[in-house]
Amino acid sequence: MKFKDYYETLGVARSATQDEVKHAYRKLARKYHPDVSKDPDAEARFKELGEAYAVLKDPEKRAAYDQMGSQWKTGQDFQPPPGWDAGFEFSGGDFGAGLGGDHSDFFEALFGRHGGAGQRAHRPAQGQDHHAKVLIDLADAYRGAQRSISLRMPALDAQGRVTMQERKLDVSIPKGIRAGQHLRLAGQGAPGLGEGPAGDLYLEIAFNPDPQFRADGRDVYLNLPLTPWEAALGASVAAPTPAGPVQLTIPPGSAAGRQLRLKGRGIPGTPPGDLYVVLAIALPPADSEAAQEAYRSMAKAFDFNPRTKMKGDPP
Amino acid sequence: MNQIAVTFIQGPVVEEEVHLTLVELCQACNAEEEYVTAWVFEGLLEPVGQSPQDWRFSGDSLRRARLALRLSRDLEINPPGVALALDLLDEIAELRARLQRAGVR
Repeated sequence: MKFKDYYETLGVARSATQDEVKHAYRKLARKYHPDVSKDPDAEARFKELGEAYAVLKDPEKRAAYDQMGSQWKTGQDFQPPPGWDAGFEFSGGDFGAGLGGDHSDFFEALFGRHGGAGQRAHRPAQGQDHHAKVLIDLADAYRGAQRSISLRMPALDAQGRVTMQERKLDVSIPKGIRAGQHLRLAGQGAPGLGEGPAGDLYLEIAFNPDPQFRADGRDVYLNLPLTPWEAALGASVAAPTPAGPVQLTIPPGSAAGRQLRLKGRGIPGTPPGDLYVVLAIALPPADSEAAQEAYRSMAKAFDFNPRTKMKGDPP
Repeated sequence: MNQIAVTFIQGPVVEEEVHLTLVELCQACNAEEEYVTAWVFEGLLEPVGQSPQDWRFSGDSLRRARLALRLSRDLEINPPGVALALDLLDEIAELRARLQRAGVR
């Protein structure tokens, strides 16, 4: 097990006041909150911040943690000394930000595992609703799909400890589903308490990144490169769509960035989305004598300067 | 680790086929009724119906309510602050989508 320096995580001195700890946490939490930040590490960072704050904001836990001494550094191998927590009493229960059962081994070794499943005594009937995210391909939204997904959910075992339980679910993904939408699977959430019914499971849909297509709501975008002569003279070219290739008529005089709308070729539905083909122009490489000669004859054939409308002196 | 196999499950698309009552929305995002009521008051959620008993929330409210709950819990933001944050996040999402439509990834 590796030691974690919670003061370093929050960027405060060991002598920081409770107010300074809170201030540092708030500032970093806003920066790394996964709903706000686009940082790819945001979720991991935010989890670490939550764990550090859960310890340092609580005077009992902070005192116990401080007792370990200041010679430890993050990443060092660490075992809590026997009886290290003698004389401390932890109130338990609320660990603030993070999900219960989701802290590091280091945290759990020191402070134990606490109420992750969050069974709430004041709502004895229905089990809790659960949420999970499912990644599908864009093509699945066009055709509908059957997916087998594995979910890990915290659950309380017979001794009341939090364990991770794995479940496999075979789910029908309906045709026409879009990123950000939720499927509600009745009765697939947490078991009910007593005679109460089980909660529901909500699956949030997200698309796997696709090298060609981008979805925006029900519309789908595709960048299509053309040769200069196809763009200038017009052409009929094959273009991929998530539902299979189509033959596309490129109007003469098409500029880069022009969008061709294929009505109803977006994600199916009522109404269906549209597919936008964004045209780009690719220049052939001048990597042979013949190719260079072709460019030179183009230069002779055109009296063309794309910079005539630019203002200011040339650099 | 226990393995529980379940076969073939179908469910409605919440955003298109489901309207939630106050109690259902609270259950779905594990939020207290006071929070949801405060968010309605701030205009963060816009149910149809006059009184809380008659409120019906559109499926999209689920996403907004969960986001609001995470922000208020994790960052300790009050309801007006959460409403502002959601408006700004929506605006950023719209701007990002516009960049994406223009081919800027």
